[in-house]
Amino acid sequence: MVHLSRRRFAASIASLAASTAFLPRFAGAQAPEFRIGALCPITGAGAQYGAGMQRAIQFAANQVNAAGGAAGRQLRVFTEDDQTQPEAGVLAAKKLIEVNQVQAVVGTWASGVTLAVIPMAVRANVLAMNVSGAPDISALHNDGMSWRFHPTNAEFGKAFAAVCAKQGYKRPALMGFNNAFGLGLTGGFQAAWEKGGGTIAGRVIYEPRRPSYRGEVQEILRAKPDVIVMGSYLADTTLIMREAFQEGYEGRWIMPGWSANDQLVAALGPQATEGVISMDTIPNEGSGAFKSFDDEYKRAMNVSGASNVFAAMSYDMVISLALALEAAGPSASPREIGQKMRLVANPDGTKVYGFAEGKDALKRGKINYEGASGALDFDEFGDVKGNFLMSVIEKGRLVRKDVVAG
Amino acid sequence: MDIVFIANLVVAGIVEGSLIALAALAMTLVFGVARFPNAATGDFMAFGAYAALMAYATAGLPIWLAAAIAIAATALLALVSYRFVFSKLLNRSPVANLLASIGVALIIRSALSWYFGSAQRTFSFPLVRSMNLGGIRIHPTDLAVVGVALAAMLVVFTLLYVTPLGRRMRAVADNPLLARASGIRSAYVMVALWLIAGGVSALAGVLLGVKAIVTPEMGFDVLLHIFTATVLGGIGNPLGAVVGGLVIGIAQELASPIVGASYKLAVGFVVLVALLLVRPQGLFGGAEVTR
Repeated sequence: MVHLSRRRFAASIASLAASTAFLPRFAGAQAPEFRIGALCPITGAGAQYGAGMQRAIQFAANQVNAAGGAAGRQLRVFTEDDQTQPEAGVLAAKKLIEVNQVQAVVGTWASGVTLAVIPMAVRANVLAMNVSGAPDISALHNDGMSWRFHPTNAEFGKAFAAVCAKQGYKRPALMGFNNAFGLGLTGGFQAAWEKGGGTIAGRVIYEPRRPSYRGEVQEILRAKPDVIVMGSYLADTTLIMREAFQEGYEGRWIMPGWSANDQLVAALGPQATEGVISMDTIPNEGSGAFKSFDDEYKRAMNVSGASNVFAAMSYDMVISLALALEAAGPSASPREIGQKMRLVANPDGTKVYGFAEGKDALKRGKINYEGASGALDFDEFGDVKGNFLMSVIEKGRLVRKDVVAG
Repeated sequence: MDIVFIANLVVAGIVEGSLIALAALAMTLVFGVARFPNAATGDFMAFGAYAALMAYATAGLPIWLAAAIAIAATALLALVSYRFVFSKLLNRSPVANLLASIGVALIIRSALSWYFGSAQRTFSFPLVRSMNLGGIRIHPTDLAVVGVALAAMLVVFTLLYVTPLGRRMRAVADNPLLARASGIRSAYVMVALWLIAGGVSALAGVLLGVKAIVTPEMGFDVLLHIFTATVLGGIGNPLGAVVGGLVIGIAQELASPIVGASYKLAVGFVVLVALLLVRPQGLFGGAEVTR
């Protein structure tokens, strides 16, 4: 009995292996397919965005394929979960590169994961695209191998400082999650704030995944801040805000949008969250690219595409990558494709809002893809500038207030 | 640092420490009798927290009843894991059992995140400000956490040191062969052990969930603290585990203004290493557990 089932099992594995081995050969009748590895945070701190990002990458690839592929090549997406952890991310990237033989790894979210994956990808001559914020990532552009679709954390911190100055706060205190994002945001805030002549009342960098942050909160409250600037995520923010409320803090908060959201209100109630300032990178809501992204996103996820700016960025990764591939030609190497990114996305070209339109316009010259997530104009480090939406929680609801340019 | 600030840190340390102590108690019990570090302790906690959350938030039961249901459900889960996994490995090495417990942990965690999703949940009690006792701030939740944890430890200690069942458990812990020769049925002791370990873990999970948030990883995230407390107290020693938890909790809080909050976990290990250099068997560990 055991013998039989084991044999059957072995046979099924073998046939599975055989079928996947033959698949590319059938598919590659003309130009070989272009393989993309979608490496998104399906579990861990980024889990609330990862699934949507992965779907966006898939339907963007479907759109490209429906338009006849890029440079005659069909896109094929392989998916992996980076677990929002560098170790898991590196292992998954290794698998995508070595086993699936992808030519681009797109969709890394946490800075720690991105920082670990880029050098590996570059060594393997594979393009890397991320939505991370750590300033250090700018140094890994590698002449067009790594591209960032999200503004840097320092930019985030700068926008926070601008808002705090405008609101008239005098004693900001900083609390940062001990990772590239938390350090980058609080560092960017401090630099911008001190440049404007202000001083920081206090600063605490804390460890993730603690059962309590009471000691940290007590330390920051001793500085008597009028606003607490958070470089944080949802789980730690929930604990920190609850404990600060219990300790009697009555000042304001300013934090990224993934911390100050409906789930935070659900956890803490409207009283403790009243007046929290939420800063978000926002999608390019007026653009045609956003509309076609949004339509597909609603179909795939049953919620508005505006709820997941990272999915819009992931969508843009595939569309801009496909346009660059189209411009570089079917036999271009990943590096040659990377070097076409600015040609298809930066100003001076004809503005386009989707792959089919861009493919057509490319025949006549330079194009400027205006993405679903933003204008998508890359600087010399492969970074984009974002727009930040400032919202305030009023009676348990996020109310849009202002757009701050990055 | 003024005295009020230090006192507040000590309070924070005691609250966190008693949570860790309760979970460490569950771990050390299993170690004392079944002789392996149960890596699924944290995930029993998470299971208990979700069970209580279901009973409290979904079924609308009062929190004490929800906690009781969680304790029963997790005790049953622990018994099931004993029946189908650990009972098969009774005479294997501790490493085999440890690896099996990691497997059980992964299964529980994956099942939780599959069924409940990875988004955080909370027991939504209305927020209230802490009491201010001359600058020392004490929150009702903290009082409840410490009170319930202490009461649970008291119950477990009574069970261990007063009842015949406890005597049998301690006999098996001291010397399984001699215990069997004296007519103690080890199967019976094992069932009791796993029920208690599951129940205690569940209660620790519910308290942690009430104080913090409920996620599938919540128990795994504190597992390192639990291990540290268990080793610090002397592996297999129930009183040691409790004291170890409190020592770790208070030491971490007191040290963090000096070394920085990001080195909290490291402080726990420094305390552990320093103690093990002086007392290799841990705070309360006897010679027999160090062999």
